[in-house]
Amino acid sequence: MKHETGNLKLGGHEFKSRLILGTGKFSDTETMIKAIEASGTELVTVALRRFNREKPSDDLCAPLAKLKNIRLMPNTSGAMNAKEAVRAAQLGRELSGSPFVKVEIHPNPHHLMPDAIETYLAAKELAADGFIVLPYIPADPVLAKKLEDVGCAAVMPLGAAIGSGGGLSTVDMIRLIIRDSNIPVIVDAGLRAPSEAARAMEMGCDAVLVNSAIAAARNPVDMARAFALGVETGYAARQAGLMPKSDVAVATSPLTSFLK
Amino acid sequence: MFLTVNGEKFEHRGDGTVPALLAELGATPEHTAVTVNGELVFSKDWKSFKFNDGDTVEVLTFVGGG
Repeated sequence: MKHETGNLKLGGHEFKSRLILGTGKFSDTETMIKAIEASGTELVTVALRRFNREKPSDDLCAPLAKLKNIRLMPNTSGAMNAKEAVRAAQLGRELSGSPFVKVEIHPNPHHLMPDAIETYLAAKELAADGFIVLPYIPADPVLAKKLEDVGCAAVMPLGAAIGSGGGLSTVDMIRLIIRDSNIPVIVDAGLRAPSEAARAMEMGCDAVLVNSAIAAARNPVDMARAFALGVETGYAARQAGLMPKSDVAVATSPLTSFLK
Repeated sequence: MFLTVNGEKFEHRGDGTVPALLAELGATPEHTAVTVNGELVFSKDWKSFKFNDGDTVEVLTFVGGG
C-alpha cells in the first residue's frame, strides 16, 4: 500500500506539504514570497534565464535564499530536446546546489505539450547521473511506468495545458497512472481551482504543482492558502476513505412504520 | 578581448577570468552559472579558467518559472 504516512517522499527527501509551487508569472517578488509562505510549500520550481544587466532585480536567488525550509527545483524550460534539457539541469544543479530537477521539454509554444520521447531520454540520463528527477509528462500511463523504470522520483502528468486553467481534463488517464505507479504521482499544470487540487488528492495523487492558478489569481497570497487547504482536504479525505457509491438511495434514518 | 556574452558582443577589459567578467556585468557570482562555448564552467574553476578572444559566454541566473 502506498500513501500510508503523511509525508511526501521524493528521492529520499520528505516533505510535510504536498503542494509544490511554481514561481512564474507573479506580479512582483514580494507577492511571490508571501504566496510561498502562505502555501506552506517546501519545494518551489525556478527557471534559468540569461542574466539581465538592465533588470538584475529579476534574479530570484537572493529572495528565495531568505526563505526557511524551502528547496529549489530548477526546471529545464526552454529546452527543445533531451540534450538541451540535460545541460539546463546541470546548470540548475550548479546554481542551486539542489539535486531536484523538473524535466520539461515542450517544443511547441502554442500548446506546450511535453515531448514524451525527449523527456524520457533526458530523464533516464539525469536519473543515472544522480538527479532527483520529476518529469512533466503527458498523462500517459505507459510512459509513466517507463519513467518509473529508469529511476524517476515521481511522475508529473498534466491536468490540462500549462497556464490554461483547464482543470483535471486528463482525469481518466491520471487514474490509470496512479493505479500502476510505485512512485509519487503529481498533477502538474492546468489546475485552476483549489477544489481541483482536492479532487486530485482524493483520487490518489501524492501532490500537486501549482503556479498560474495562484500567480494569476486576484489575490495570489490568499489563493496560495486556499490551495494549501484544498490539498490538505483532499489528502485527508483520501486517507479517511470515501464511502461506497450506490445507484439507489440508502436511508440514513430508520424507516419504521410507527406513524401509521 | 571581445566575447559574445548572452548573445551580444562584449569587450572584456579584465583579466579574462569569470569573476572579472561578472564584476563588469554587475552580476552576483553566487547567483550565477556560466557556460563557455556551450560547456558549463564550474564555480570552483572560475579563478583558474581563462577566456579566449571570441568565446561565446552565457551568464545565467534563476528567474520565476513553473
